Amino acid sequence: MKKRTFFVVAFILALVFLSYGAVCAKEIKVLAQFPMSGPVGSLPEFGWGFIDGMNWVNGEGRGVNGKKITWYLEDFRYDPTVEVANFNKYTAEHSRDELLIATGYITGGLKPLIEKVNVEEKIPWIEGSYSTEIWGEKGGPSKYPYYYSLGGTYGNQIKLLMKWIKDNHKAKGKPRVGFVYSPTAWGRDGTPEGIAYAKKLGFKVVAEIEYPYSATAATNECMQLRKAKAQYVVYHGYSGATAHTAIFFKTAKKILKDVQLMGTHYTTLRFTILTGQEAFDGYVGVSTRPIMDAVPRIRTPMDNPMVKLAHNFAKKYRPEEYEKGLKAGGIKEMFLYTEGLMYAFLIQNALTDADNKYELNREGIKMALDNMVWDFNGMFGGKSFSWKSHTIPMLRLYRARVEMVKMGDKMVPTGGVVPISNWINTDEIKW
Amino acid sequence: MIDLLQTLGSGVLVGLVYALLGLCIVIIFKSSETFNFAIGEFLIIGSFLFYTLFFNETIPWYKALQLGAVIFLFFSFILFYDKNLRLRIALPLGMVTGFLIFCVFFFGLKLSSLITSSFLRFAIAFPLGLLAAGLFGAMVERVTIKPLLGRSPIAMTIVTLGLGFFLRACVQLIWGSHAYPFFLDLPDITVEVGDLLFLSDPIWAGIISLIIFGLVIAFLFRTRWGLAIRATSEDQAKAMAFGINARFILLLVWGISALCIAVAGIMISNFGALQVSMGFVGLRAIPVVLIGGMDSIGGAMAGGILVGICEALAGAYVEPLGLVGFKAVAPYLLLLIVLFIRPYGLFGTVRIERV
Repeated sequence: MKKRTFFVVAFILALVFLSYGAVCAKEIKVLAQFPMSGPVGSLPEFGWGFIDGMNWVNGEGRGVNGKKITWYLEDFRYDPTVEVANFNKYTAEHSRDELLIATGYITGGLKPLIEKVNVEEKIPWIEGSYSTEIWGEKGGPSKYPYYYSLGGTYGNQIKLLMKWIKDNHKAKGKPRVGFVYSPTAWGRDGTPEGIAYAKKLGFKVVAEIEYPYSATAATNECMQLRKAKAQYVVYHGYSGATAHTAIFFKTAKKILKDVQLMGTHYTTLRFTILTGQEAFDGYVGVSTRPIMDAVPRIRTPMDNPMVKLAHNFAKKYRPEEYEKGLKAGGIKEMFLYTEGLMYAFLIQNALTDADNKYELNREGIKMALDNMVWDFNGMFGGKSFSWKSHTIPMLRLYRARVEMVKMGDKMVPTGGVVPISNWINTDEIKW
Repeated sequence: MIDLLQTLGSGVLVGLVYALLGLCIVIIFKSSETFNFAIGEFLIIGSFLFYTLFFNETIPWYKALQLGAVIFLFFSFILFYDKNLRLRIALPLGMVTGFLIFCVFFFGLKLSSLITSSFLRFAIAFPLGLLAAGLFGAMVERVTIKPLLGRSPIAMTIVTLGLGFFLRACVQLIWGSHAYPFFLDLPDITVEVGDLLFLSDPIWAGIISLIIFGLVIAFLFRTRWGLAIRATSEDQAKAMAFGINARFILLLVWGISALCIAVAGIMISNFGALQVSMGFVGLRAIPVVLIGGMDSIGGAMAGGILVGICEALAGAYVEPLGLVGFKAVAPYLLLLIVLFIRPYGLFGTVRIERV
């Protein structure tokens, strides 16, 4: 009897001990989602940057005070339903104590997840979208406490373009502005705020055109803008990596000869130089990041510490892809790689801060993000700032300089987007 | 009035390219009652084949080798079933062709270093690219459609659906999914009269599409092969009884169709850039052929122009009223109206079927 009692007690103690061990050994899990394929083109660089970043974090970076991060990476193919479904799947499969932070990348995925992220799960969500609806005047941390954006809103981006027009308009009469935007949540976001601000500044908004991703021609759109005598055209809600952007710029260059073409972050990239070539020359755009890539890559200025770091990372961990560049399977655009890398560093910072100062759970990470003061590896001219508005409010204006040169037996575009302003903190502007 | 002319003109120019796409669907449908849903993928592959030749775009050796090997296998084991022929003809032919394909994809055609004039380069690369696209279409027919001869046309149509996914994946593996800059630099023939402006690229697209359309019609109605194709379209069994090789006719039709799709793809890519996602343009052929009539060549032309004009008018006059995005829907709305009035399309043959 005694022997049996001894074994039962020992068994129960062993069970308690084991289950305690299992509880103590809970993992730190992270879900990252990027649009690496789909209508925006093939952008695996996001994932490569994130993979290299997380591998570094778990290796040389010593994880979260020595604890490794278990990370998951998903390609949602620029499809909001896939992004939402992935998030639902992971939250169902992993406990709240373990899955501590999630990321997304498009405006269309944010809205269906408002309740799920901010009310049900209460999980910090780091986002690549610059949605005005979520982080603009009518949104913000009070309404969406768990959403964090990595850049100034599209509304502020367009408003900044309007300010540039105001400062640089030399022709007689009020500036005449046309808006071309994509029929997506992305394209429609920020445009109404931009139009309202243009009207507030006394500009004439002469055209509002939805130009679809499935376009085979842009002649009608450009003729409409010409008929409306637009002097400035804002092109918003498009990736520079796509055929429809090339169609628009090539057509606009011929039909809208004296019109200043302008655009928001994702058009102000290297891709547009490559697909639009000379037609992109002179474009004025706003961006949330420093220059990542010139054409050819060797001409990229390396004075920005984060840009330099990203290039060094790519050279070290992806030498073949870095070397290939524009060829299939290469890193075509360093911005995308850097973005993945930045997510990895940011996640490590937030988790470590939470572990050191608060608690390593969702609430602790939220507090860490709310109180984080960081210079993002010197990305914005060394300026450190807090994330109280849940966005990085730094924007900069650029102008595209493209020149065709003969390389071997081919004429190829060279150049890049050159800054024409300092970093502007949009939180400090009175619009 | 000027606006209307401008809109109609732009619509007609794009419509001519759509008409060519419609023609590709019609000739395949007439010969085998199959709807080629892989038209978008044919469009991309045809464009990429031309791109390789014209812009001297090369791919890594291991990909070029795989392509060469596929061609070799095709010639050796698929084209000829006879063992003797395989050894005497197919194996050497396969080796030579496979090697040529490897060389072109790995080393490039180097046209740009040999010929400085872009128009002359285009004049050489264009027929070569189209020939390659035609051969590709014939290959696809031999591998996927021929084994299904005698089965229900629905089976073939479903095969083209799967074929589309397969080919798309192949394109992504070979060329990736990013956009390739596409500048043909053809002589500038922009027409600008007062407020009327027609750009050079759409005019070229219209002219070349019209020429190819005309050549296909001439081939169908002025040659013995064309006569054989038409006879096979009328009644396959009877044509075979008269000694026409219906299997070869099908091969020919798929080849011609792939060639014409490539022309449309090249023209549309020249408006902007070449990208795998451009394949959706091929689906513009659906309203074109349903409006014009699935089995009418003239209907493809009428349907193409109507769809082009419809898109242009919707973009110019309806969208500014606040109905943004209407341009994309307009052709399907027109299709709905046409189908209500004429279920077989404007020029389609009315079929009376016993049920």
